[in-house]
Amino acid sequence: MERIYVFKRFERFWHWSQAALIITLLFTGFEVHGSYTVLGFETAVATHTTAAWTLVGLWVFAVFWHFTTGEWKQYIPTTDKVVAMFRYYLTGIFTNAPHPFKQTTLSKHNPLQRLAYLFVLLIINPLIWITGWFYLFYNSWADWGVSWLNIEYIALFHVIAAFMMLIFLIAHVYLGTAGHTPTAHIKAMVTGWEEVD
Amino acid sequence: MLKVITGFFIAIILVAVVALTSAQALMFNITPSPYGVEETAARIQANIQKPNMKANGWSLSGLRDPGKAVAAAGGNVMPVLLIEACSTKYSGPLLKADDTRIFSILMPCTITVFKNDDGKTYIGTMNAGLMGKLFGVSDIMDKVAADQKVFLSFDPDEAAPPLIKVQPGGGGGGGAAGGGC
Amino acid sequence: MNKGIKTLPKMLLIGACLLFAGGASAATDAASTGEDTARSKSESTADHSKFEELNKDFESGPEVTEACLECHTEAAEQVQHTKHWTWEYLNPVTQQKLGKKNVVNNFCTSVTSNQTFCSACHVGYGWSDDSFDFTSEKNVDCLACHDTTGKYKKIPGLSGHPNYDTMEWPPHSGNFREPTDLTKIAQNVGKTSRQTCGNCHFYGGGGDAVKHGDLDSSLLEPTRYLDVHMDAEGLDFTCGSCHLSDSHEVSGSRYAPTASDDNGALIRGKKDGRNPTTCVACHGNEPHPGTTVSTAKLNAHTDKVACQTCHIPEYARGPIATKMTWDWSTAGRLDEQGKRIRIKGSEGRDSYDSKKGTFTYERFVIPEYTWFNGNVKFTLFGEKVTEDKVKINEFLGGPDDPDSRIWPTKVFRGKQPYDVGNETLAVFHTAGKDDSAYWNTYDWDKALSWGMEAQGLEYSGEMKFVETEMSWPITHMVAPKEDALTCAQCHRENGRLQNISGVHMPGRDNTPMVDTIGWTLALLTLLGVLFHGALRFIMSKKD
Repeated sequence: MERIYVFKRFERFWHWSQAALIITLLFTGFEVHGSYTVLGFETAVATHTTAAWTLVGLWVFAVFWHFTTGEWKQYIPTTDKVVAMFRYYLTGIFTNAPHPFKQTTLSKHNPLQRLAYLFVLLIINPLIWITGWFYLFYNSWADWGVSWLNIEYIALFHVIAAFMMLIFLIAHVYLGTAGHTPTAHIKAMVTGWEEVD
Repeated sequence: MLKVITGFFIAIILVAVVALTSAQALMFNITPSPYGVEETAARIQANIQKPNMKANGWSLSGLRDPGKAVAAAGGNVMPVLLIEACSTKYSGPLLKADDTRIFSILMPCTITVFKNDDGKTYIGTMNAGLMGKLFGVSDIMDKVAADQKVFLSFDPDEAAPPLIKVQPGGGGGGGAAGGGC
Repeated sequence: MNKGIKTLPKMLLIGACLLFAGGASAATDAASTGEDTARSKSESTADHSKFEELNKDFESGPEVTEACLECHTEAAEQVQHTKHWTWEYLNPVTQQKLGKKNVVNNFCTSVTSNQTFCSACHVGYGWSDDSFDFTSEKNVDCLACHDTTGKYKKIPGLSGHPNYDTMEWPPHSGNFREPTDLTKIAQNVGKTSRQTCGNCHFYGGGGDAVKHGDLDSSLLEPTRYLDVHMDAEGLDFTCGSCHLSDSHEVSGSRYAPTASDDNGALIRGKKDGRNPTTCVACHGNEPHPGTTVSTAKLNAHTDKVACQTCHIPEYARGPIATKMTWDWSTAGRLDEQGKRIRIKGSEGRDSYDSKKGTFTYERFVIPEYTWFNGNVKFTLFGEKVTEDKVKINEFLGGPDDPDSRIWPTKVFRGKQPYDVGNETLAVFHTAGKDDSAYWNTYDWDKALSWGMEAQGLEYSGEMKFVETEMSWPITHMVAPKEDALTCAQCHRENGRLQNISGVHMPGRDNTPMVDTIGWTLALLTLLGVLFHGALRFIMSKKD
């Protein structure tokens, strides 16, 4: 086993604080949506709004970091080995077949990860941010000259994006256990060091 | 095999969820009333005092507003009226036997009248029929359930009767006159 | 609660008496300089008992008014320009001629033909029929609003006069009222009070709490919970604290309510024609202090929701129930001796009266909510309506109207006479000493013939009872902030605002299909990964 340093300190901080915020946002968001009552509506709304603003702040740093370090290139999609990845998750993983992708510091996401994260970055996030932003500034619509917008649709797409994020979260958490040992990836995300063959 | 096991566990979880969420609906009956809280309570009281219900041993044993206690403690809640009634005909047999004496915990029979945010008045009763089935005293509790239905049938042509301010605690020691069981 | 209902009105009555009998001495004790403490409870610079003009035996109300006008030369003329005198109001938007004189309601239904009774709440003397002189200054009643003794009472049936002789009141009650001591009352005039305003406004519709629901005699000395502004031990506002007057014109009116005002708090002294009787006039447009996300969100609600909606969670929160329905169609049932029947109902009020029909009363009433921009359209006498449910008035406004807010209302429902031939709501003569008055003879035809004629219409001879609805804005009985509605009372299914359309409310509004698909996919994903994981686990054991 060889150990490589994959996740830098800021990246790890970003990942885990983002995880906490997204889970908080999902949990409070679905309460505001009326799916259940746990915190109480007022607390849920206040927490949701505060978490959203915190995430905005975090993102400003993250975007800056990605572009200054060039790490944004990690999300450039590739079709190479995508089929192999699917085959691995569907069969190979059960028979201890070798992982089709070799992780390196320069290329730390497997092709499926790249696609999935890109989907999050290009579809889910814009959808959730744009709708959330309009939701948050509903009272300023007239000043912005966007009174023609329909809050019903804004809310609808915000919820759809939330469901997509929830589904992504479930799959992401599970695939986090799909390393050569169930905790390998998770450990790497904490320490930064990944063990590779 | 795995599918069967997973299926089994999922089924158990589902049943538990259904049971938990519907427990309230099973234990209590909640029906809307076309009248305000006081008028609903007054009409129920009047029904309890009708001759056919008197013949079944029913009498009023109390009228409480638990919201009053909250108000006295410095809070504010909407009025909730608890109408307490008891039938010696039904309570007697239950109180006589060791096995069923624990049922005194449900005496007197309480009907609650309250308002929800939709602006409607609601009447809450204990699901007497289910209680009877659960604890093996269906014969008596089915009759209670039938009488409860009579308590809640209103005649809109009748003007609202006055609310009867029965002091609670009529039962027990020596409250025979005003007092139900 | 039982005891409370019985004793509270009594306590209030005693409290009110004490307030007005003892109020004088209490006030002077505080500012005592050892002078005669019989009067001068007000901080006025004038002691009316020292005025020669008032130091005589007055025979009647108009004589008192003449004495008042010797100094207050313009007062009567000012009063004569107000709705309190004219009982008329021209709605500038709908051009409808409104005011008590013209509108129909579903309580006693109409002033027309019943002036001798109704004018007990007119600021004048002698209005018994259409011949009343609305220009006569001495007919203005100063005392109705400026009495401080609590002894001045205009008796229904006396055309706006108090009793000048000993008189049994209420009729057949065995209680006798002494002749009104006009001299004492005149010498003690002062500012208006909750008592003077309340004498009429608390008893509208024929009894305490009957009409408005948010105005009743419990506001004479309310607790903080009942009304945070009028709290007798707190802010202790009088009606006039909000209903500021100028030249006897009292601000705030339900004929032309101000449903919204985006111009912030009113600076005192500044006259810009705005209504000073709104919440905004004092509290501004961002009334919730603080900079947390929660207060920001609350302040963001003011573009759609009237203050009253959250801050008056229920009306009739005092000990006195308000009338909710009035069914005239059951009136006229008599007992075996042909005598009037009265049945006491659940709230300690009449649930049936042969003279009036069937009523229901309610306390802690949850308002019905509606979009409202301040314009009210009335259905007036003579206007053609069908036999379907008649909306006596309609609150205009809607979600897309920037002047509209979601308002709480009391909707009063009734059944009242309808003239089938004329296809209009019918006027009938209720009270009087003649044999056409319904309350004397229980004869609808006579009462309707007289009433319709007084309205300038001809009764077709065929009547039936139609269902009617009348809405009243709820704006008094503001609760302390801790008793305001919570978010979830509206932001939920079947909440307070379940019937309000045109606005998106998280927690209430969702798209069930999206929810079903979303949760199903999420659950399938979960099951999928669990299955995948289980399979991995089992396969790894095999090795």
